[in-house]
Amino acid sequence: MSLTDQELKDLKADRTVDAIGEVCPHTLNMALDELKKAEPGEIVVEVTDHSIATKTIPAAVKMNKQADFLGTLKESGNYSIFLKKR
Amino acid sequence: MFTIEAFLLAAAFGLIYGFLLQKADFCFVASVRDFVSVKDSRIGKGVLVLMATALIGWGLALSTGLASLDQVWSVPIGATNLIGGILFGIGMTIAGSCASGALYRSGMGYIHFWIVIAAMIAGNLLFAYIYDPWGREGFVEPLTFTEDGFSLYSLGLPFMALPLLIVAVMVLISIKQFGVKGFLQGVKNSLTNWEENPFKQQHWDVRFVAFLIGVTATIQFITLSSISVTGPETRIGGVIVSSIFGENVVFNNVYLNNMFASYPTVGIGPEETLVLFMIVGAFISSLLSKSFKIRLPKAKRLPSAIGGGLLMGVASRIAPGCNVANVVAGVGGLSVASFIVLIGMAIGVFFVTKYVFKMPILLFYRDKDVA
Repeated sequence: MSLTDQELKDLKADRTVDAIGEVCPHTLNMALDELKKAEPGEIVVEVTDHSIATKTIPAAVKMNKQADFLGTLKESGNYSIFLKKR
Repeated sequence: MFTIEAFLLAAAFGLIYGFLLQKADFCFVASVRDFVSVKDSRIGKGVLVLMATALIGWGLALSTGLASLDQVWSVPIGATNLIGGILFGIGMTIAGSCASGALYRSGMGYIHFWIVIAAMIAGNLLFAYIYDPWGREGFVEPLTFTEDGFSLYSLGLPFMALPLLIVAVMVLISIKQFGVKGFLQGVKNSLTNWEENPFKQQHWDVRFVAFLIGVTATIQFITLSSISVTGPETRIGGVIVSSIFGENVVFNNVYLNNMFASYPTVGIGPEETLVLFMIVGAFISSLLSKSFKIRLPKAKRLPSAIGGGLLMGVASRIAPGCNVANVVAGVGGLSVASFIVLIGMAIGVFFVTKYVFKMPILLFYRDKDVA
């Protein structure tokens, strides 16, 4: 499931993780920690400027099935990675 | 070696490496960690392309006579390779980057990695003062089994034989994995991943970048030296201490003295210039793609920057060599020691990923496992 940029912009994040300036593995661990706290159906967004996180976070949730990856929004050097807790 | 041309050439190589590493966010830690943790093989494939390019490059350079066998970098074989590799793998995973990663991320404005580099240099110097007086006889020499390095090129086979054989096996394995069509599609994707002005594009395909780095390293091998990062960083450390405490500090230490043995003075040579210009290359690359930003580290990350960096600095002297020297010059030069170091590094990365960061290890995960 991957939404368009406009659809992602229209989504309201229930939880936002500020991972600006962080690198791996913290970018992934912070997202997974927040997902653990989230209720099913909640939208968790991680904001990061670390490009590798845009690959590892979707790959991780695809396998651990804790969330659906909705898409990544790229704005002025930052990435917002949208996840929906299952 | 110490001509103006050599310095200019070194600066150019450094700029190219820094630029390319930043463009692909080429993180060697991620190549292993993300594979075992989330089964993401993207950067791992980049490392394999880099090794394959270096192998063919070194083989060609030797077969054509552009480079000779005594230019090949190889170090003595021993348990030191494995121990140094494991410790380096642990250090780089804790610090968050390898030796080259710290350089390009420093150029992107991550203060965290300036601290990692400073800690690495401190670790290099720490090792030098452990080595002399007691480390050399205490553990380095007893754990080193051969007097000299050994490169498989000196077996007497035609120089292209082993590189072609190894690369053919790599290609066959990837064809078995992805099919001929998938393999060719991968090659095509790696070459056609362009959106707009490439220099402004934030991200280049890591396999394409790996190929370019391999080609650049081959040209460097022919014209200047084998690529390395932590050896030059140790010398930069030597230059810093000698400028504060005088040159005798360097000359009175066996290890540091050896590092400058072929140097006319305790100073910055071409290889050190290359390392410094890698930071500049990454800075230019990140400016062009608007990825440059001064990023201050959080206080709670400082212990891992300092601790991981120190460990990398010490380990890179035990192994010896960092990820770059061993992956490119070591594998390209078919140096037996480097293969052992790389196995060690992978073990170190795995250990920290699983037991320190307690990340999920999904490498052996199959879809049916959760059904």
